[in-house]
Amino acid sequence: MKYLSKKIPYIALFPFLFVVFCYEFLPLVELAISSLTGKQSGSIGFENFIRIFTTPLYQKSIINSIYISLFSSIIGLIIAFLAAHFCHESSPKVQQRMAMILNMTSNFSGIPLAFAFMILMGNTGILTLLGKNFSIPFLDGFNLYGTDGLMIVYIYFQIPLATILLIPAFNGIKPQWKEAAIILNANSFNYWVKIIIPYMIPSLLGTLSVLFANALAAYATAYAIVMNNYALLALQITSKYKGDVQIDKATGGALAIILILLMVIATVINNYFMKRSVKGRSII
Amino acid sequence: MTRNNSLLSKIFLIILSCYLLLPFVVTLVYSVFMEWTNGIPSGFTLRNYTLLFSDIEFWLSIGRTILLCTVSVLFTIIILLLAMYVVVVENNKLGNYMQFICMIPYALQGVILSISVISLYSTSESILSNRILMLFGAYSILVLPYIYQGIRNCMNSIDAKMLLEAAQMLGCNKFIAYIKIILPNIIFGLLISALLAESIVFGDFVLANNITGNNYQNVQVYLNKKMFTSSGLSSAIVVVIFFVVFAITGFLLKLQNYRKKG
Amino acid sequence: MCYISFNNVTKNFGNNTVLNSINLEIKKGQLVTLLGPSGCGKSTLLRCLAGLEQVSDGTIFIDNKNVTNLAPNKRNIGMVFQQYSLFPNMTVAQNIAFGLKMQKKSKEEINKQVQYALELVELGGKQNYYPSSLSGGQQQRVALARSIVTKPKVLLLDEPLSAIDAKLRRSLQYCIREIHEEMDLTTIFVTHDQDEAMIMSDVIQLFNAGKIEQSGSPVNVYTSPVSIFAASFIGNYNQINGTEFSQLTGMAVQENYTIVIRPETITLTKNKPDFSDNCYILHGTVLGNTPRGNVLRYKVQVNDTIFRVDALFRSFHMFENNSEIFLSIPKHDCLAIANN
Repeated sequence: MKYLSKKIPYIALFPFLFVVFCYEFLPLVELAISSLTGKQSGSIGFENFIRIFTTPLYQKSIINSIYISLFSSIIGLIIAFLAAHFCHESSPKVQQRMAMILNMTSNFSGIPLAFAFMILMGNTGILTLLGKNFSIPFLDGFNLYGTDGLMIVYIYFQIPLATILLIPAFNGIKPQWKEAAIILNANSFNYWVKIIIPYMIPSLLGTLSVLFANALAAYATAYAIVMNNYALLALQITSKYKGDVQIDKATGGALAIILILLMVIATVINNYFMKRSVKGRSII
Repeated sequence: MTRNNSLLSKIFLIILSCYLLLPFVVTLVYSVFMEWTNGIPSGFTLRNYTLLFSDIEFWLSIGRTILLCTVSVLFTIIILLLAMYVVVVENNKLGNYMQFICMIPYALQGVILSISVISLYSTSESILSNRILMLFGAYSILVLPYIYQGIRNCMNSIDAKMLLEAAQMLGCNKFIAYIKIILPNIIFGLLISALLAESIVFGDFVLANNITGNNYQNVQVYLNKKMFTSSGLSSAIVVVIFFVVFAITGFLLKLQNYRKKG
Repeated sequence: MCYISFNNVTKNFGNNTVLNSINLEIKKGQLVTLLGPSGCGKSTLLRCLAGLEQVSDGTIFIDNKNVTNLAPNKRNIGMVFQQYSLFPNMTVAQNIAFGLKMQKKSKEEINKQVQYALELVELGGKQNYYPSSLSGGQQQRVALARSIVTKPKVLLLDEPLSAIDAKLRRSLQYCIREIHEEMDLTTIFVTHDQDEAMIMSDVIQLFNAGKIEQSGSPVNVYTSPVSIFAASFIGNYNQINGTEFSQLTGMAVQENYTIVIRPETITLTKNKPDFSDNCYILHGTVLGNTPRGNVLRYKVQVNDTIFRVDALFRSFHMFENNSEIFLSIPKHDCLAIANN
């Protein structure tokens, strides 16, 4: 009796567990089961995965997804590193203004962003037309509706996010480090290579993995620009469940599992580095 | 050296800001001019906006979006506060499991969340096959990590466990202490994470499009549909969405700065 | 006669026994200190009394009532934590009033009590401040006021001063002692600081590894340690191997015993003293000294043994390093303690 009355407060967990069970756990289990149920044979096994890895369209989708995500993340990270560094050196007023711009543009994504880029760089976009009129090499005849176009848009939305993530790391640099380094006879080059870069590496790799995951799972932007006519993981998965064709849970599920695995790898890497860089008191 | 650096940093930051703001500025200009073909826009007009604001479908989509934002975020806050009661007051060891469960949606994101929910429930015969219910459920999961993180950080920063002990020693029971001591002290941080979650739901396209599609259009789905018919109108929608998101983030930043100052 | 009693109280965290069958009785109106190094179980015992931890075995009585399984909010105990733990959303007055509100006291009564408590901790006029605008010492005073205003049966203080800097600590020690006397409040104070325990308490309970090592008045615990641990934790005793000491002095020492001597009982002289009846006289060399405020601590070598000797710091009577000197050690200050 006493034991039971002690457990009564645990009822408060139920609504949470119910929602998580219905909309997180069960859907994932269903996804896993359908990915392992062969499309043709209907038996349990890796048939779907084998088919995915031998079908050119899906191979291309996985490669494109990783390529675009990784490349846009690295470019974004390099620009963000400089931006965060310059922000860090600026006056508080400039910092505040930059924070505003970065936060706002980091929310500029999905369909609205795709639309803005169509106006800018679509077939009759403002920049494209300028490029044609003045024969600017990159812009003249620029094709937004392909790999180059996606890359440009992805890089755009990576920059503000990456900068926001890197600024705290720069703020963690203590002026005493530089003073200590100078006292110990280090020059500016040594200071950067021996102190700042090693200090920043966990943050940089952590940020890179967040950017990678962010790009990998991006759907709306790509969907608005290239529709389903492009080999990209997120687009191919969705097309198996939506659209004119018959729903194909087997292929869709298996593709989704591959995407999840990629995301989990990125998240685990991020957690590993973030844990190393953040040391705070946590009780719960 | 410092002067050089500051000039360089100014130039860099100005160019970057221009680049980041360019898509928005272009869309804004595009939405208020008739024509923009030879590099210079011409024919100022507010026609796109009058058309947009007189479209009942637009207002309906805005209404649905607001409903989705508030209901799903509020719902998630409530279930999390209840669950956190057990974690903070009754059994701290559950915290790790809770964190694991709440972080999974990070790895799922909209695409997988939406298709897995459809895949499971669309063929069901029960109430669960209701697409709108599915959408609310999926949004609750989508915002789970953000709100959970917010609540957890707040609880840690006020040292919730110790405040609860102090309240108990003063003759207060655990539940009242949670309501009277813990909640008022995390409400501010909760507001910040709620706003962040709002902006995520507001900006969502993939869940709404995949789960409900044209049956229950939110503003992003509405925009996507209009893109095929009228680019003028679409640009006006983009500008409106933008200003709403700007307003939310601006407010968010103000709150955060306010908190930092204490 | 006894007001609080712990009977065979045991507490395990997993396989780790933090409290090992503790028996302890506390009289009404006493100020008892639980003293010991960190991790010795002193805070856990306090938290068991408060009800914030459940005992694994044993019973606890307060005022002849078994409180072992009573919820913390039903025990009528006041507690002050190390980290202040004031409610940040409430003003000083609201914090102090919280416990009274829980007791459903009338508004006038609450106001009167809050005012009284504020005066008691010398914070009159600060009632409308928020905790974040107060210093650490002030916050701890508020916490103190908050926990006594409900007139608890017992006041528990869990290392309340260890987060506060040295100068303020003195005045708070004084404040706690004064409140204890004014309200005739049974008080249990946990600390790892032996000086603090000496100053504050009527009774010291010295803890080690989940057990009570020694109990007694401060003077008693200070002058008669019962174990090597007690001697090393309190009073900076010289600890000298028994055989070594008996070779030096000729004193008969049993095997496996250690001789402990407080540094301030030893007298240093330039010439061999005449009065040698009650003292052992040893001849040694000064190795060095450290000034410690009003006391100068010498390091003196006798054969292969090093003695620490405290002498009042009088600069005209200092001994040079390497000078030859005599140590007189009163016989009754050489305590023999069995090795563990």
